[in-house]
Amino acid sequence: MSEKESPYRTPSERPVTIRADRLSKIYGHFAALHEVSFEVRKGTVAAFLGPNGAGKSTTMKILTGFSSPTSGRAEVLGLDPSDEDKRIELARRLGYLPESGPLYRDMTPRESLEFVAKLRKLGDVDRRIRDVVSRCAIGEVLHKPIDKLSKGFRQRVGMAQALLHDPEVLILDEPTSGLDPLQIREVRALIRELGQDKTILLSTHILQEVEAVADDVVFVYNGKIVFTGTKDELAEGGSLDERFYALTEGSDAPKKGAA
Amino acid sequence: MGIDFGVVAAVFRKDMRQYLGNPTGYVFLTLFIATTAAAAFLQDGFFARNLADLAELNAMMPAILMFFVPAITMGAWAEERRGGTDELLLTMPVRDVEVVLGKYLGVLGMYAISLAFSLSNVGVLMYLGDPDTGLMLSTYLGYLMMGALFCAIGLVASMLTKNATVAFILGALGCAGLVFAGSQPWASGLLGAALIGGAVALVGFALTNKPSAAGVGGLIGGLVATFAWLAAGRGSAPSGESTDETVGADALRDENAFAEFFDALSVTDHFASFGEGVVRLGDVLYFAGGIVVLLYLASFLLGRRHW
Repeated sequence: MSEKESPYRTPSERPVTIRADRLSKIYGHFAALHEVSFEVRKGTVAAFLGPNGAGKSTTMKILTGFSSPTSGRAEVLGLDPSDEDKRIELARRLGYLPESGPLYRDMTPRESLEFVAKLRKLGDVDRRIRDVVSRCAIGEVLHKPIDKLSKGFRQRVGMAQALLHDPEVLILDEPTSGLDPLQIREVRALIRELGQDKTILLSTHILQEVEAVADDVVFVYNGKIVFTGTKDELAEGGSLDERFYALTEGSDAPKKGAA
Repeated sequence: MGIDFGVVAAVFRKDMRQYLGNPTGYVFLTLFIATTAAAAFLQDGFFARNLADLAELNAMMPAILMFFVPAITMGAWAEERRGGTDELLLTMPVRDVEVVLGKYLGVLGMYAISLAFSLSNVGVLMYLGDPDTGLMLSTYLGYLMMGALFCAIGLVASMLTKNATVAFILGALGCAGLVFAGSQPWASGLLGAALIGGAVALVGFALTNKPSAAGVGGLIGGLVATFAWLAAGRGSAPSGESTDETVGADALRDENAFAEFFDALSVTDHFASFGEGVVRLGDVLYFAGGIVVLLYLASFLLGRRHW
């Protein structure tokens, strides 16, 4: 694993924070992921782009240590998430929003945040909660049962939970799915703000999302990487739309960079 | 390594609040008190014997608990999976073991609370007569241990599926196997076959690290065990070897070495002496050992997500 393997055309001096090295995940005879390799460098916002069912969530589950790859190796902050001790060390420094923002529905956001604080053994809980509550703008619903909240608020409660320990790395699985346009704009603004001092990998199937928040793009299709590079490189030789369709139509071989 | 009991306590408290924070929990409590009271006193035998004890309830308790406990445990893990919160929980800096222990203590806590309320039955005895304190203590210790074992069975059942109803049925079946083993030869045989199948599946998985090997191994193990069970029944009766010690009416009973071997796992037999005021080390070890094995199995099942 050396620097020359970096998929980025413009080599960066920044260290690699998230590294996927030939990750494969096979369920029975179905390969959900096939030799997926990419890197995300410190301080960048990377969009993990691909249509539904491309393998985005599977990859994120592996990166966070919820699941393990069939073969290959993941590394986040230099720690292998498939090793339990390393995963626990990693979990202290990583914020994760799983797909569709699962929450304990019978708790209030406040209770939910307190529960996370206990699991994470955080000190100074009140200040931390105040901080994420204002960041994610959930103050008005803090004491209502999560079950009664709108999808937009629930998603923001999920974000608040992921941010409670002020992690260095954020992995967000479709953070804007199911939100209305106003909520989407708010969440994107929050991601951009967070991206100033954190490394973020977010998955999406929406091109405007890439446009709006990402520096780099990792494009996955049918469990394979079809493109890695910067947002501008992806758009080279056409619009993002055109490239999206070109890459997802009949292309099985990985393509690197543009043109 | 080492277990962080702060995490265990956090999971335990979350679940306890969940049980007691909604009406279903109280419906369960009320039903449990009513059912145990009915089983203890609304029986001819209780008044006919004229003794201030819970013998009538003791006879019914395994059957009551085999439905009641799975109703507590069915959602314990199935609901987390259905709501996706398992992913939230298991990507926190917590170990699988801590989650399993927290979950187990949660269902056990709910059961213990139900049991505490059912002490009202002892109150009734004290009103009607003068029950023996030692006997009451050992009886309730027996209830607690039996329920604790069933809680572990129910937790394992809840880990097997995303569907709480299926988890309830699996849990009740698992408990029923232990309840009927010993009194019903078919139950002992089934339990034995299921245990052997499960053990072969675990060994298969441990050796190859492939889930398919566990499945195939479990199936083959179960079938071989079933065959052994049926063959034992046919073989032993005419040979007379195992019938030598049994005379008269017992000879009518379907003799089966395989099933008899697994009679030893009967929860009813191991509970019986508690109900008579005797706490035997062997019985305590049976319950404690069963719980340990099942909790180990539960954390193994939690690791399935890595397959």
